[in-house]
Amino acid sequence: MSESIPATHPEHPAASSPAKAPANRVLKDLSVLIGGQGGDGTLTVSDLLARYFHSRGLYVYNSRKVLSRIRGGYAASSSRASIEPTLAQKAFQDVIVAFHQDAITFDEKSLSPDGFILGDEKVVTNPGPNTILLPLSITAASKLGNPLYKNVLAFGALSVLMGMDREGARKVVEQRFGRRSEEARVKNLSAFDLGAELAEKSPDPKPRFTVERGTATDQVLLTGNQALAYGFVVGGGRFFAGYPITPATSVMETLMKILPQYQGIVRQAEDELSAINMTLGAAYAGARAMTATSGPGFSLMTEALGHAGEAEIPVIINDCQRVGPSTGEPTRNEQSDLLHSVFASHGEFPRFVIAPGFPQDAYDLMIQSLNLAEKWQLPIIFLMDQAHGENMQSAPRFNLKGVSVDRGKLLTQEQLDAMAAYKRYEFTKDGVSPRSIPGMKGGQSQVTGNEHDEWGHVSVNVENRKMMMAKRMTRLRLAKPDLPPPLYWGDEKARVGFIGFGGTFGPIREAQALLKRKGITSRFYQARTLWPVPVETLAPFLSSVDVVFVVEHNYMGQFARLIRGYVTAPNIESIVKYDGNPFVAEEIAGHVEQMMTEHVSYGPSKTPIVVHEGEGGGF
Amino acid sequence: MVEHVKPIQPTWCPGCGDFGVMAAVKKGVLELKIPSENLVLVGGIGCSGGIHNFMDAYGFHALHGRLLPTAVGVKLANPKLTVVALGGDGDGYAIGMGHFVHTLKKNASIVYVVMNNETYGLTKGQASPTSLVGFEGNLEPPVDAVLTALSIPAASFIARGFSGTPKEATALVTEALRFTQERKGFAFVEILSPCVTYNDTYDLWRERIEDVGKRPGYDPADRGKAFSTVLDVMNSGRIPVGAIYRTPDSQLRPSLDKALMPDVAAGPAVADISLAKNAARYEKMLAALE
Repeated sequence: MSESIPATHPEHPAASSPAKAPANRVLKDLSVLIGGQGGDGTLTVSDLLARYFHSRGLYVYNSRKVLSRIRGGYAASSSRASIEPTLAQKAFQDVIVAFHQDAITFDEKSLSPDGFILGDEKVVTNPGPNTILLPLSITAASKLGNPLYKNVLAFGALSVLMGMDREGARKVVEQRFGRRSEEARVKNLSAFDLGAELAEKSPDPKPRFTVERGTATDQVLLTGNQALAYGFVVGGGRFFAGYPITPATSVMETLMKILPQYQGIVRQAEDELSAINMTLGAAYAGARAMTATSGPGFSLMTEALGHAGEAEIPVIINDCQRVGPSTGEPTRNEQSDLLHSVFASHGEFPRFVIAPGFPQDAYDLMIQSLNLAEKWQLPIIFLMDQAHGENMQSAPRFNLKGVSVDRGKLLTQEQLDAMAAYKRYEFTKDGVSPRSIPGMKGGQSQVTGNEHDEWGHVSVNVENRKMMMAKRMTRLRLAKPDLPPPLYWGDEKARVGFIGFGGTFGPIREAQALLKRKGITSRFYQARTLWPVPVETLAPFLSSVDVVFVVEHNYMGQFARLIRGYVTAPNIESIVKYDGNPFVAEEIAGHVEQMMTEHVSYGPSKTPIVVHEGEGGGF
Repeated sequence: MVEHVKPIQPTWCPGCGDFGVMAAVKKGVLELKIPSENLVLVGGIGCSGGIHNFMDAYGFHALHGRLLPTAVGVKLANPKLTVVALGGDGDGYAIGMGHFVHTLKKNASIVYVVMNNETYGLTKGQASPTSLVGFEGNLEPPVDAVLTALSIPAASFIARGFSGTPKEATALVTEALRFTQERKGFAFVEILSPCVTYNDTYDLWRERIEDVGKRPGYDPADRGKAFSTVLDVMNSGRIPVGAIYRTPDSQLRPSLDKALMPDVAAGPAVADISLAKNAARYEKMLAALE
């Protein structure tokens, strides 16, 4: 695997900058990590921080490292805020909140030299020099009757130590808990006040820093899963069936809240086999339909995926990837389902694999995918990954600009009445046949996963088989101009290129910024259509730079391999990571620098970039 | 009128029990005057599962064992449709058993007709979940789907017929269709349908069937009585058939489709999804994001 270099953790900046920070620091980009045992409410603190930063006009990116259990085990979440759009988690923390000694043991190494630790006195057994210990859980238990209020106490203490606007922070608590019940509102506000008081009465109550106000007032805070769910509704999606699975469940949960208001149905099925087949049934009956799952569920759905391909049923399968194979690591990040998405299910049939890189992209591409599925009458795999799906972040408020509903060759009763004969699988130039739905007079048909003739009747006729294969597969070629084009980021004239998809978007963008500061400009090809492989844009991109780093979260360098299957390009290098954590920008930038200086000397490519004839465009 | 797909000749062996089942379904559809464009037949995999090809309707050939989720999906997308799932005992009680139990629980208003021949006919006569001990070396006593259905609290219509007694089978299927037309819930009808090639049981079954309704005092509204009677008949070496259980109208809970969509015309498949129709509400929904 010479082309794959596993990423390692970046070096601690303390080595190069040991100086102590000035007292009145104003931060423009900060990150707070909250670590404790599962059930300690670390997510509540990061959520409150995110809401506060959001209210101060800052861009926010939250992330989480939790275990697949309800209680216990080390769990951490972080909240990053910046006056610039934040796209990923930061490599170093400015504050660590420790609800357990583990937070210090596991994460102290990521504390910036200027940072501080806020620890719960009761559990932190081995505080470091930068640690402020406060009796958080003891006060919560004695004053409020439940040690769990320690999380809101910690937020109150942080409001003092991080120089927050006290009323603004208090309002965030009120908004978050006021919706639940009056008791929750009152108790949590008391917890906030108690926490602030503890900090104020501590030996050194002065703010360690303040945070600059931002100008991002047009943003909303949400996850990629929520974004795609909203896109599903706006794009006319009206039926969803799923089975709970981390990290895709929030798609179903979001849709349960909003879809029924639009004559839509959301059902929790008994398993993924049922979920996908209910979805196929609903799509066949004429509803725009989707299921959402993660790797294990997607594996179960693969037979039905082929059924959708053979029977020509438009359907969306949303795979929010996690660490695999088998049960893998349910709560951790990976992009190792790529090749599975492209090749899953026996036999050959057309499908599109589409991957958005950030929430707005998830919203836009879902709307587009709903049109593409109906226009080309085939299944679409909408590929997400855990970090993008579950991490809450700032996104511009979604709107309806450019939204359209194109149902392709779905017939109206009038159009059907005007036809001489209706054949569900009629041979046509573009491989797509007019489509009726049950209830339409004269549109009776046979829809089947057997090979069939134009009427839908089972057929093993050799000429028919060849023509039906061509009818289905030709769509992969003909649809290409319709499919989401890549987005290009960075310097058009750069000699260094990046290729990535999905959740690596943020880390790559930030790595570009880091490299630029060191004089290395780069251009990033953000792939949004992964299948059919977009050779038409990949080949010119590969030719336009000296070297391309394909950045992805898997062991094999799956996307790089997929691209190599269609394009001969000697200038592709892989940067992979498969430890369960998303890339941070420093890792990517570090590897690029290292490879540029130590390993390889690049110049303009001497070997031409060649698209393999009969493969890239030859479906 | 536009020309559409024509039914083809059945591919079944002459004398197959499935002919009787199809006749029963056709007669029920005719009696209830269900227009063929509103009739969706979801077939499973196996000899019986091809039935949708032999009738005038919207036909969907589902994956092996998955016809029930598919049929529920169709019904929930458009509750106006009459949805009938039709498959065999291997399809329904082996690979599809999980869905069978959960479809009883879901209780959407669809009919499920299982053509039970106690063998895998299409793959040439292997033991099925309903095969008796000894059949093709079978060591495992069979499942009984009627007992299974009775044990699911939501099950509200359970019947078993025999394709050798077509009048009775037709009456059961017609009642099942009527039950779902009235949106009362899931109607399960197993029909004993002999495989003349690999398990010709016509004579045996004709001799062994016993209509539970003919037992004095039998009340199909009494689930406990139904259970004990079915067991009693089975223990005596006979096969219980007839209208085995039906929840009385006064005790029916709303079916899934009715609970979700009191208005039968309000299915997701017929929702107006145009932007013009929805833009104002979408704007409001997106504005509410924080």
